[in-house]
Amino acid sequence: MERPRIEVLDLGKSYGQVNALANVTLRVGAGTVLGVLGHNGAGKTTLVDILATRGRPTTGSAKVCGWDVVKHGDKVRERIGMTSQFVAVDDGMTGRDNLILLARLLGANARQAKARAEELLEAFDLVDAANRKSSTYSGGMRRRLDLAASLISRPDVLFLDEPTTGLDPASRTDVWGFVERLAADGTTVFLTTQYLEEADRLAHQVVVLAAGYVVASGTPDQLKAGIGKRHVMVTLASSHATFHAAAALTRHRLSPVADAKLCTVMVPIPEAGDIAAVVRALDSARIPIQDLKISEPSLNDVYMALHRSGWNSDGWRSAS
Amino acid sequence: MEQRRVAVGLMTQHSAAADRRADTARQLQRRPLRPAQPQRPEPVPEPEQQPPHRQRHAMQEETQAFYLRHEDVTQVLRPIRERPWSSSGFGSQVWVLTVRSLRTVFGDFKLVFFGLLQPVVLLLLFSQVFKGVGSLPSVSVYRTYVNYLMPATLVNIAMTTAMSSGVGLLAEIYTGFIGRLRAMPINMLSVLVARTLSDAVRLAVQLVVIVVAAVLFLDFRPAGVLGITAATALSVVAGWGLGWLFVAIATWQNKPETMQAVSFIVMFPLMFASNAYMPVQALPGWLQLVAKGNPLTYVISAERELSLGLPIDSALPIALALVAAAALIGGFASARNFRRTR
Repeated sequence: MERPRIEVLDLGKSYGQVNALANVTLRVGAGTVLGVLGHNGAGKTTLVDILATRGRPTTGSAKVCGWDVVKHGDKVRERIGMTSQFVAVDDGMTGRDNLILLARLLGANARQAKARAEELLEAFDLVDAANRKSSTYSGGMRRRLDLAASLISRPDVLFLDEPTTGLDPASRTDVWGFVERLAADGTTVFLTTQYLEEADRLAHQVVVLAAGYVVASGTPDQLKAGIGKRHVMVTLASSHATFHAAAALTRHRLSPVADAKLCTVMVPIPEAGDIAAVVRALDSARIPIQDLKISEPSLNDVYMALHRSGWNSDGWRSAS
Repeated sequence: MEQRRVAVGLMTQHSAAADRRADTARQLQRRPLRPAQPQRPEPVPEPEQQPPHRQRHAMQEETQAFYLRHEDVTQVLRPIRERPWSSSGFGSQVWVLTVRSLRTVFGDFKLVFFGLLQPVVLLLLFSQVFKGVGSLPSVSVYRTYVNYLMPATLVNIAMTTAMSSGVGLLAEIYTGFIGRLRAMPINMLSVLVARTLSDAVRLAVQLVVIVVAAVLFLDFRPAGVLGITAATALSVVAGWGLGWLFVAIATWQNKPETMQAVSFIVMFPLMFASNAYMPVQALPGWLQLVAKGNPLTYVISAERELSLGLPIDSALPIALALVAAAALIGGFASARNFRRTR
């Protein structure tokens, strides 16, 4: 088996008294998308910065493409691409010139840089806007230019730090398409995100970071099965109807949680997953339904579940 | 997971999807993914008018069309062991970044215009407000106040540019562009060298413009072309050297507002507690002491000697030594602060 592209062993980073990362251990292979989930301040960006050689670990070690990120930073930098949380393009230049500049810095001559820029403009659908200053681009276009810029050197490992935060749904779908393509072609993608949906769609492996600790890891399905629960949220006409609905649902062996103020009843969907059971129960009791929503397990649920199972903001409450 | 992979794989099968692709392409003609092109004559169905399930269907089609349109993406993005080019050297990094800065600076007409106008306005103001200084005995030997003031203005502009080097570097750190460079296989020192070099070029242009303006409109009379050229060159060197000090300040603290405040605190006393606008003898006693210890006094004296054809005394070597010291100290401090890792 090929060596893992990213190997992180017992990595820690502290700023004075504050622990940004602690005991992080990871292995990511070629062509794999690793989704790193976590709220703001969970340590996602700190981890990306260390792996992209922009930060030094306090403890532990990390290798990217077989090279130690501290001792052989130059070797690592030759093999990675990096897209930061905030788009990092030069707004004073056109889209094309941005790409040409970075290609020149990477060692291409004028002709090679131009050719590479054209390829990438084409691939990222920016040909029409290539001669405009990037300050005139929309959010989605800026992100595509940013992605193109991080792929100039055809990296083995691509770091994407919250690449879709603040993008509209169409642009988000674009970014997802590119990530899928890259992974299918053998690029290792290290993707941080706040959205469970994104990790679910893209990641082969997911790591949940909280307060610098890895609090869960596995495939998206494993995580959801272990943590999240789907709910049906029913809205009723009055608080009176809400109580009746809760009673009717209980008779049908469901476990509703009623909120009389909001006139809602929340029903966890049972293992078998028959959502229609909720509707049948209310219909047979002749209670009109005003609104019905199905809520997917969210990152919040993951967090709450993890919190209950022993993690708190200072780390692990008890040794496992 | 497998399902997803299969789905992606299917979309890449060119032959199997050929006729479907033609269909999708035709649909795309009507409903471009982005940007919406208003010049197309066909009526475009409003997505809002479609029932929800149709909308979702349309979105899937678009996504699929996107993949199909980008079937060559694979070739462009695929990682490879050997790039067709090897990594760049320090010299070419500095060159590429310097040219980039200069293109940004001179590509913006408004920026160039006001950048050039600013020192001219300052010179005009000072030459009129302090006109009375010209009658002081130690100034009247220069014939007019403009002759006395102009060499100091060359230094003033150099100081302003040096300050803007620091501010400019911070602005660039702020946009995140330098953050991108940090993760690339380049020498980070090239960023700083390029910044000071491109500012030196900008400074040279400013100085030439103001010298010409002063000669044409303010009756500035330098001793000769050689003298004023040497004075301008000294100013460029001084601006470049002092630029390193401000770059060092910029790398030492990371807020543009603080940078501005620190810069002004450094700059104004240096300019006014010197022989720039008044002869040292005309200053209050304690300020005379400060002015004599002020490095800028020596630079300004050297400028006067060069541009007005006065006998060259010890001021020029002292000025050059001070500038070299500023460049060295600033250079080392910035190189130490401006590391890749934090």
